[in-house]
Amino acid sequence: MKPVRFEEERNLAKDFLSNFADANGESKYMNILQDVANHKFRAVQIDLEDLINYKDLDEEFLRRVTENTRRYVGIFADAIDEVLPKPTEAFPDDDHDILMTQRSEDATENVEGSDANQKMPSEIKRYFEVYIRAPSKGRPSTIREVKASNIGQLVKISGIVTRCSDVKPLMQVAVYTCEECGFEIYQEVTARVFMPLFECPTKRCKTNNTKGNLILQLRASKFLKFQEAKMQELAEHVPKGHIPRSMTVHFRGELTRKVAPGDVVELSGIFLPIPYTGFRAMRAGLVADTFLEAMSVTHFKKKYEEYELRGDEEKQIASLAEDGDIYNKLAQSLAPEIYGHEDIKKALLLLLVGAPHRKLKDGMKIRGDLHLCLMGDPGVAKSQLLKHIINVAPRGVYTTGKGSSGVGLTAAVQKDPVTNEMVLEGGALVLADMGICAIDEFDKMDESDRTAIHEVMEQQTVSIAKAGITTSLNARTAVLAAANPAWGRYDLRRTPAENINLPPALLSRFDLLWLILDRADMDSDLEMARHVVYVHQNKESPALGFTPLEPSILRAYISTARRLSPYVPKELEEYIATAYSGMRQEEAKSNTPHSYTTVRTLLSVLRISAALARLRFSESVAQSDVDEALRLMQMSKFSLYSDDRQRSGLDAISDIYSILRDEAARANKMDVSYAHALNWISRKGYSEAQLKECLEEYASLNVWQIHPHTFDIRFIDA
Amino acid sequence: MVGPMYDFVANPLGAVRLTFDKTIGSGTDPSSFDGKDWGAVDLFRHFLFDQARLSQVPILDGATVNWIKPNTLVRFRGMIQDMLGNELYVGAYKDGSVWRTNKFMDISQCPVELNSPDMRLWERRLLYCVPVPGLNSWAESTSEAAVNMCMDSTSEQRDKRRRMDIEAVDHNDFPVSGDESEDSPSAKRMREDPSSSQYLDPKNEGPCSSHVILPDVDRDSLPCLVKIYDSPESELKLNDVFEFVGVLTFDSELPSEKVDQDEFSNGLCDDVSVNFPPNKVPSLHCVIHRKLTVYDFLQNSPPTEPKPHLVKEAREALLRHLTSILGNDGVAAHFMLLHLLSRVHARADNVAVGKLSLNLTCISKEIASVFGTKLSIVIKNLLPFTKCIPLTVEYLNTASLAPKKDYQINRLIPGVLQLAEGSHLMFDETCLETGTLNSAGVENARLLKALTELQKVEYDFKYYKMEMMADVQMLILSEGKSNIMPADIIMPFQPSSAGSSDVVPAEVLEAWRWYLATVRSMPHLIEAEMQKVVENDLVTARQADRSLGSQDFSRWLTMGRLISASFGETSLSLEHWQMVKELERLRMDRLK
Repeated sequence: MKPVRFEEERNLAKDFLSNFADANGESKYMNILQDVANHKFRAVQIDLEDLINYKDLDEEFLRRVTENTRRYVGIFADAIDEVLPKPTEAFPDDDHDILMTQRSEDATENVEGSDANQKMPSEIKRYFEVYIRAPSKGRPSTIREVKASNIGQLVKISGIVTRCSDVKPLMQVAVYTCEECGFEIYQEVTARVFMPLFECPTKRCKTNNTKGNLILQLRASKFLKFQEAKMQELAEHVPKGHIPRSMTVHFRGELTRKVAPGDVVELSGIFLPIPYTGFRAMRAGLVADTFLEAMSVTHFKKKYEEYELRGDEEKQIASLAEDGDIYNKLAQSLAPEIYGHEDIKKALLLLLVGAPHRKLKDGMKIRGDLHLCLMGDPGVAKSQLLKHIINVAPRGVYTTGKGSSGVGLTAAVQKDPVTNEMVLEGGALVLADMGICAIDEFDKMDESDRTAIHEVMEQQTVSIAKAGITTSLNARTAVLAAANPAWGRYDLRRTPAENINLPPALLSRFDLLWLILDRADMDSDLEMARHVVYVHQNKESPALGFTPLEPSILRAYISTARRLSPYVPKELEEYIATAYSGMRQEEAKSNTPHSYTTVRTLLSVLRISAALARLRFSESVAQSDVDEALRLMQMSKFSLYSDDRQRSGLDAISDIYSILRDEAARANKMDVSYAHALNWISRKGYSEAQLKECLEEYASLNVWQIHPHTFDIRFIDA
Repeated sequence: MVGPMYDFVANPLGAVRLTFDKTIGSGTDPSSFDGKDWGAVDLFRHFLFDQARLSQVPILDGATVNWIKPNTLVRFRGMIQDMLGNELYVGAYKDGSVWRTNKFMDISQCPVELNSPDMRLWERRLLYCVPVPGLNSWAESTSEAAVNMCMDSTSEQRDKRRRMDIEAVDHNDFPVSGDESEDSPSAKRMREDPSSSQYLDPKNEGPCSSHVILPDVDRDSLPCLVKIYDSPESELKLNDVFEFVGVLTFDSELPSEKVDQDEFSNGLCDDVSVNFPPNKVPSLHCVIHRKLTVYDFLQNSPPTEPKPHLVKEAREALLRHLTSILGNDGVAAHFMLLHLLSRVHARADNVAVGKLSLNLTCISKEIASVFGTKLSIVIKNLLPFTKCIPLTVEYLNTASLAPKKDYQINRLIPGVLQLAEGSHLMFDETCLETGTLNSAGVENARLLKALTELQKVEYDFKYYKMEMMADVQMLILSEGKSNIMPADIIMPFQPSSAGSSDVVPAEVLEAWRWYLATVRSMPHLIEAEMQKVVENDLVTARQADRSLGSQDFSRWLTMGRLISASFGETSLSLEHWQMVKELERLRMDRLK
């Protein structure tokens, strides 16, 4: 390899700084440098991405910059010294500037300054700090992937900040004055420790042999802000059976105070060793400590809205969106190891997608988050479903109704042990803001939380008035609750209202309520027996009938879908209104209303439809979305009240017939497609088998004709 | 034959150096050795295993640490308790014109010019190892070298060991948890009053005043800092039990110097040597490591081939012994045997397949005082790692069960539930009285529940929790069904006599240990025909009783596996399946 000439490198850097033009044709770095010259800000961030996009890109130069970054920070700083434009704006002189002017005057008078220690180092004149930033594309490494071979290189890592030191001054240039000759002596400090000078090195003192005493001038010296932090690997990056690794990170200058313990960040920085000094070196032999000198800090966003698609995810999503069956496919991929429960999984998918929040002109907010409650016998995998959803969601909190700490679900005012001040601490619902909060054992919730949850579920805030703190916190979260029936097991002899151990006011806030019953039938028992035997035989779960989508793809798809905010077209308004009034009337008709059809129900229909439209990547809600929404709501009700229906007057077959007849009359058509018919009747809680039976029976009565293949219905006009 | 050229045990570094020089001499570039071996390890492997000299290498423990010389070859048996990350060291450098290496050393022989181009930085991994928690005295190994020095005849020694065994067990009926019992007052004082630890150990009081002396660092349980070279990360996992053979560097004479009072060390110094002063924790530069199995803890290596008659005999005898210990309760003895044989074979869908935790109920305080002790002695004598914990409200509220990361010292503080694979835990719930659990108590109860149900322990990393897989046999003694630890098998205990306590000869115990270790690791298969029978039985059972779930099915299949394994068979036979059903029927009758 040919030796690198730093002169040339500086010229390359200069060239890049002055000639680089960004996408808009603006000369990005010269603009920054102008601001720096005007003392508007200090940081000059050299983006390696820009270097890659630079028209006269020199691959070798780029490689050298990434592999010997620390050197190139200096080279770029030198280059900036040369190309820095004159300030265009006047800025108030601070004492630093006064010092500088004085010094430069001194320097011109003083021709003697051939001495290295007397020459003013360029560091002290600089008002800027140079950072070289790794390209944002590409996956950050985990801490354990940073090896000895990365020393000196620019690396990008992600992790969680576990400890931070205070910000302290770090001396960059020490300035001394000599008691004898009065000269200013400069000493550049590159390490964390330095040996102060004691004897004046100037010619005058040397020739006079006076050994001038040097006095450190704190005001004249240059200090940098310095902060040390510890980073630790994220839990998901740690291989099974290992412990998270950690790394020391040094922040300097403008990068200090950017992180706090608990932050999940992505850092780019230079991986450097510090050889032990002094006695430690002797004892520790030749071991070197390592640290990362931070060059840029990016905080991780854990919200859907800020999810960035990686690599080919965009393409995959596009191909998935074209697939007609995406709704089913996505739903199946949720908790694939849990067998069955298709409709519940669909509901869970819609919960993840949600509907857009609406804010009306008068400031009223209508929530877009869907709330879902799963109710059922113990041991029907409710908790597993909940945990799985939390894993898929980018921001999710799993908790139980009993909670674990005093904070509970909502929020609490607590005394800070250190400062003795009253501080507000958010509970699970507040922590899950803009995400999903899964609450297991919902029925066993504390009474205080239960009252507060009413507010969370509709207003999406938590208000607190305790210990002199009155405030309300945002809790824009979708609640996914799981509850056991009142007597542990669902008692079929009692009414559903008795079984559900929750007040109606709370229940009505759930968009969907699902009862998962452990049905007694031979097939499911055999299925279960086979499963258990298979697991014991083969030490793994049996293969699924399909390949579920990766959670990451699922997440990417959902986040893309969440960017849309579909509207309800005019022509559908009538349709939805009729459906709603139909539901209301039906409820009025029955003498024991189980459902609480209110305006909330209508909003639920709209929310679910909007979520469905989002899944199709459509900007407007279609009738099929509304139909599916109504079907899901019906199925959810059906799961609760199925046994009551059988007791109600009409037998199923004639009821189905009247439904079809009415629907056809309303549409003023003689033809009814099978799909529509199925949709209508399933909304009323009937099964496909019952529909078929009805079709056959009435066809034999010559009431209608059935298409032999498609089963479409044509009424015979009497 | 290269062996005699070097004295591997007394001067292992000489062998390292010679091989290094030889390889360099043959013209290889030292930078190519990064993460590789140049033949030294092979040489050691040949010496230790092919020539079977492993037993000549002294074992490092609290007793031997005082006379083993540094820079000699030693063995250390322990569990990986914490992983401290990587350490960079100058692997190879030029001394004048000669390449030298620092591998397997802490301190180089000659000063190295820093920043010279002829310096190669290599990496090694630091593991913090402790003796296996709950290691029983019979499983402690003594190397020949040590034996030769301390004892003159091995038979006498074994006799003595036996007696010591029983004494040790008698003397701590219910040890709080192995080593950290009350008898170490200094440890206790330290726990009570954190400031006193500084007083006790002023030289450690550096700028990192948070310096904690881990409770189990005492003479009997010597921790060791193992430095691993060139082996893939996946080979050594947390909580694995390993034997490390390597070069010891430990200097107990070296006065612990004042840790540099540099102005910057009040920042975040966590230099390893500050937290582990070399005069407290020896370090071992590992040359060869191997994972240990139960066999390695048996004193004399018995036949590895399980002969049917040997297995049957051992089973009969052991079952008889268990029955007599359990006051002639044969059913309970059967379940106990199956419980002792259980281990987690696989994990599928969050289910740990193969675990069989046992909850003996109907045990009042008085019964517990009679049988609990005997039972714990039996288990101690049979399994290598056991612990017995009396569960009280106070214990739940104060004990730190889950390991916790302390970011002040950058260490994983061990918890009671950080256990090696295959450990046995016995909980005595009979002394549990009514009381209030604080938040730590609730958390501990949750941990215990998760361990019983899922065989997982959550390690607390403050900012997040990490689930670590565990494989721990859980035995719970309680008056009613334990709600804190919902065991797989609830077994009402019905003794008909006080239970005998006849002394079992050492050879018999040894045979039983061998039996348990052997049949536990046997493969298992359910033939297609048998599978049909099992499936049908399960479905019929569920049709009859709706409350049966997949957990019950899973339990039966586990029992089927264990019963056939206990007979030394590898596939489930109809006869053994019938036995499962019969045992369950007997148990159900008792539950009514």
